[in-house]
Amino acid sequence: MTAPVFPAVERDEASEPFFAAAARGELLVRRCPRDGAMLEPQARTCPDCGCGELHWSAASGQGTLVGWAVVHQVPVPTLAAAVPYLTAVVELAEGPWLMVRLVDTDERGLRAGLPVAARFVPSASDGDATGEILVAFAAQEAPA
Amino acid sequence: MTGAAIAGLGITELGKVYGRTATSLAAEAVRLAVADSGLSLRDVDGLLVSHGMSQDVGLSLASVLALGELNLLAEVSAFGATAGAMVAQAVQAVAAGAATTVACVFADTPLKPRERSGAAWGGRPGRSLRGLSGWSVASGAASPNILYALCARRHMERYGTTSEQLGAIAVAQRAWAAGNPRAAMRQPLTVAEHQASRWIAEPLHLLDCCLVSNGAVAVVVTAADRAAGLRRPPVHVWGYGQAHEPRQMRAGSNWGLVTPAAHSGPQAMRMARVGPDDVDVCELYDCYTYTVLVTLEDYGFCPKGEGGPFAADGRLAPGGKLACNTGGGQLSAYYMWGMTPLSEAVIQVRGDGGDRQAPRNDVILVSGNGGILEHHATLVLSPHPAHRSVTG
Repeated sequence: MTAPVFPAVERDEASEPFFAAAARGELLVRRCPRDGAMLEPQARTCPDCGCGELHWSAASGQGTLVGWAVVHQVPVPTLAAAVPYLTAVVELAEGPWLMVRLVDTDERGLRAGLPVAARFVPSASDGDATGEILVAFAAQEAPA
Repeated sequence: MTGAAIAGLGITELGKVYGRTATSLAAEAVRLAVADSGLSLRDVDGLLVSHGMSQDVGLSLASVLALGELNLLAEVSAFGATAGAMVAQAVQAVAAGAATTVACVFADTPLKPRERSGAAWGGRPGRSLRGLSGWSVASGAASPNILYALCARRHMERYGTTSEQLGAIAVAQRAWAAGNPRAAMRQPLTVAEHQASRWIAEPLHLLDCCLVSNGAVAVVVTAADRAAGLRRPPVHVWGYGQAHEPRQMRAGSNWGLVTPAAHSGPQAMRMARVGPDDVDVCELYDCYTYTVLVTLEDYGFCPKGEGGPFAADGRLAPGGKLACNTGGGQLSAYYMWGMTPLSEAVIQVRGDGGDRQAPRNDVILVSGNGGILEHHATLVLSPHPAHRSVTG
């Protein structure tokens, strides 16, 4: 596969902490202040206690592969330049699942449970606006 | 009160039907269903409306049809589970005496002239990507095709399910479609052709994915004893179930491997006092081949994880042990969401299947699936009044 292409993504108010952290190489997830449950960045409610005031919390960026797909047909026009690409569900060491792109990864040899780690990649420039740094993941080379 | 039954079925022209609104198609389907039942539009005192992608049919359908005073009028939206949810709501209304004659209709016009069918699902001009949802799109799981591919991959990784086994489902349904004059795809299919079809999102090939169709389908629900005196043989509703389980995105999640069918199916079968062994025909929601496989497991036709070998041994095809998607389903016939399996079930219960009529039709199980394996509805239908003992 050729170098990954990411369409430009802009931050909004709600995602400001997430993208600010990504720009300094840090992955934020959500943490329930009541029971400590660690949840995906998009979570709005803790499924264990119903708390709706989730905090941001730094994650290690280490995880394992749950599933993946090799996308050939363009799903939306903004991804037209990206195909074919690898998209995946990864499980962070802290528990949350993220839907992410896999970069610097050979699709051959992928398997559920494969160690993966966060990568921070620039999204494309779009007119005058420069895209945010995005969180992607890469397969970790098996130790020799 | 002897329970409720489907007394009428209306199906418009399906597929590349251009130049008509979903509302106009919906009105035609309701007229056809009411006429099929032998009732008149003046008898209709309940209307449940379901839109698809185009979202241009709603409550105004009642005035388009010049219906009189209604006791029940609502839009119902549970994605692919809607048809089953509508019938269940209609059955409950009839059982409670809240309404006597409820029309349930789905209509959609996602296909546009000179546009690929895939464009109906997100392929139109994009907006700029913003926030976490923008990151999600850029991350690439940006269509149902891809999300279902991730689910199928999980099953393959966990249980060793293969693409050829998924292909066997497409092949079996195509063989059934050959006997369905309404089916869009009727030429025979082989697993090799399935394997050679282009990748959409690996592990899903083109021929793992449903069609996209324009059209409308309606049914009319009324009391079972009343239905028995009407124009067509009643389609008795023995049981219904519904379950919804938004996907959990964290460690331990069964998303993609176990679906809400595992709750909805047993609920409906308990109400109907049947088990999987009693089922003669399955009409299963088949947005993808994988949906059929995982639904068979969740309904208890085979143990979890064995859906691949189970589906691939020929039993789902004409002449097999478990007639499944006898009209070709959404993979080969037409894509009317939950109305595809429901309409074919009505046809089979009535014995109207012609070349594709299943050899036995005492108990027919109908599924609807929506979201990304997150919403489910089940119906158990029969030509016999409810709770009549089913002889083995």
